[in-house]
Amino acid sequence: MLRKPLAFLKKDFLMEISYRFSFVLQFASIFFSVVMFYFVAKLLSDAPSVQKYLSEYGDGGYFAFVLIGIAFSSFLSVGLGSFSTNIRAEQMIGTMEAMLVTPTRLPMIVISSSIWSFAFTSLQVAVYLLIGGIFFGVNFGNANPWPALVALLLTVIAFSSLGIISASFIMIFKRGDPIAWLISTSSTLLGGVYYPVNILPDYLQTLSYFFPITYSLRAIRLSLLNGYGFSQVSSELLSLVLFSVIMLPISLLVFRYAVGRAKRDGSLAYY
Amino acid sequence: MADVVLETHNLTKEFTKRRGLSSPLHPFDKTTFTAVKNINITVERGEIFGLLGPNGAGKTTLTKMLCTLILPSGGSASVCGYDLAKQQGNVKASIALISSEERSFYWRLTGRQNLNFFAALHGLAKDVARKRIDEALKQVDMTDAADRSFKEYSTGMKQRMGLARGLLADPEIFFMDEPTKGLDPVATRKLHDFIINRLAATGKTVFLATHHLAEAEQVCNRVGIMSAGKMVASGITSELTGDSSLAEYFHALITDTEVEE
Repeated sequence: MLRKPLAFLKKDFLMEISYRFSFVLQFASIFFSVVMFYFVAKLLSDAPSVQKYLSEYGDGGYFAFVLIGIAFSSFLSVGLGSFSTNIRAEQMIGTMEAMLVTPTRLPMIVISSSIWSFAFTSLQVAVYLLIGGIFFGVNFGNANPWPALVALLLTVIAFSSLGIISASFIMIFKRGDPIAWLISTSSTLLGGVYYPVNILPDYLQTLSYFFPITYSLRAIRLSLLNGYGFSQVSSELLSLVLFSVIMLPISLLVFRYAVGRAKRDGSLAYY
Repeated sequence: MADVVLETHNLTKEFTKRRGLSSPLHPFDKTTFTAVKNINITVERGEIFGLLGPNGAGKTTLTKMLCTLILPSGGSASVCGYDLAKQQGNVKASIALISSEERSFYWRLTGRQNLNFFAALHGLAKDVARKRIDEALKQVDMTDAADRSFKEYSTGMKQRMGLARGLLADPEIFFMDEPTKGLDPVATRKLHDFIINRLAATGKTVFLATHHLAEAEQVCNRVGIMSAGKMVASGITSELTGDSSLAEYFHALITDTEVEE
């Protein structure tokens, strides 16, 4: 059962490391990004607003807050974009048709071709947290990783549902997917990646509750920085479950429609 | 009784498109283009069936429909006894598609890594895959080059890897779409020999879409000739052409068809 997903994982890993310079560069850019936010946080360290808006996240200050924001929001990008990006990449390099004539179903191809992206992002998130913890003194001593992991899993499902809708769009229209752009931009703006949601005006705070990233980042921060348990982040986890339960079936229906239409149009392998 | 492995009944493909911005006053009006119209063919096990026709005749659309890549709009077909519309998984497990498309491989991986990946997609267990890959590489004479990067291969070697990939799942029917495009005469000759002596001779069926008439005459037992989406002639090559060559027969037929339309 795992043979096919593992074959995709191995293939994508081999492809990734064949571009050695790019592979190394991606980790180097994590380091520079962390350093940049470290100094921004230093600048803000004495600002009263930091105490006012970030008090619920312990005494880690802005750096701990933003480190988790930028690290885990990469799951937003990969969940939203990897399915459509990978479909388009396979269409463009010309391998899609060769895969489609094998007895492997299209949903398996789409999901499996994103496994490497999720695995690589997980590795990057770990590097973010390690750099923050080891070199810049972020204290994860109180961290309760289990609620954070559950929140992360639900986040991946919720974002992936949106990503599958985005891939359906690419399957029909090939380019110019507005869904990923709209959700990604709005989530970054409203979801508490770089600044807490409670700094936003009331009407934007209300709007932020419609995006899963808001619940996801809050649950992960409270678990990793404050050591909160499942009961203390239950409302965030429940909201993420609700998003997943609603969005996953919708995304699968939309995807099914898109595949049917692309097969009728004969455009499944085209870009 | 003949063992029929491929049969179509009035197989048709119409592509429908909205006018869109090309007709601003009626953007939602639809235009329909019939790429393949009422095709009836029967191919028996072990046959090499040539599908001929000029560019745009519908050969590729018909081939892709039979490979489940495009849904038919009308008619029906069975491939190895499986219904093309309802049993696509079984159809895919029984066929291989070999085209002249070099870019259907991952160029940054080796030939063997590519085959390993596609073997997994065919659902072959690791040990079976390893054995099949070795056999396939041996059959296409690529064993020594298997661990070289795909991008280093010549066009002929890439085409042989395409054949090796086709052999992995031991399919009943090999669909080949312009397989000799870009090959030099020596590589073309080798491919023809392979089709006749390694595939057809072992009971495999070959469905060869080509516009190289000499190739069809040399390799195929039977041919079907398409023009403007329709099958305008089909049968045993020598019976169809009589005293003339396939090229003469083909040109006369296509000219007549175009005049009638």
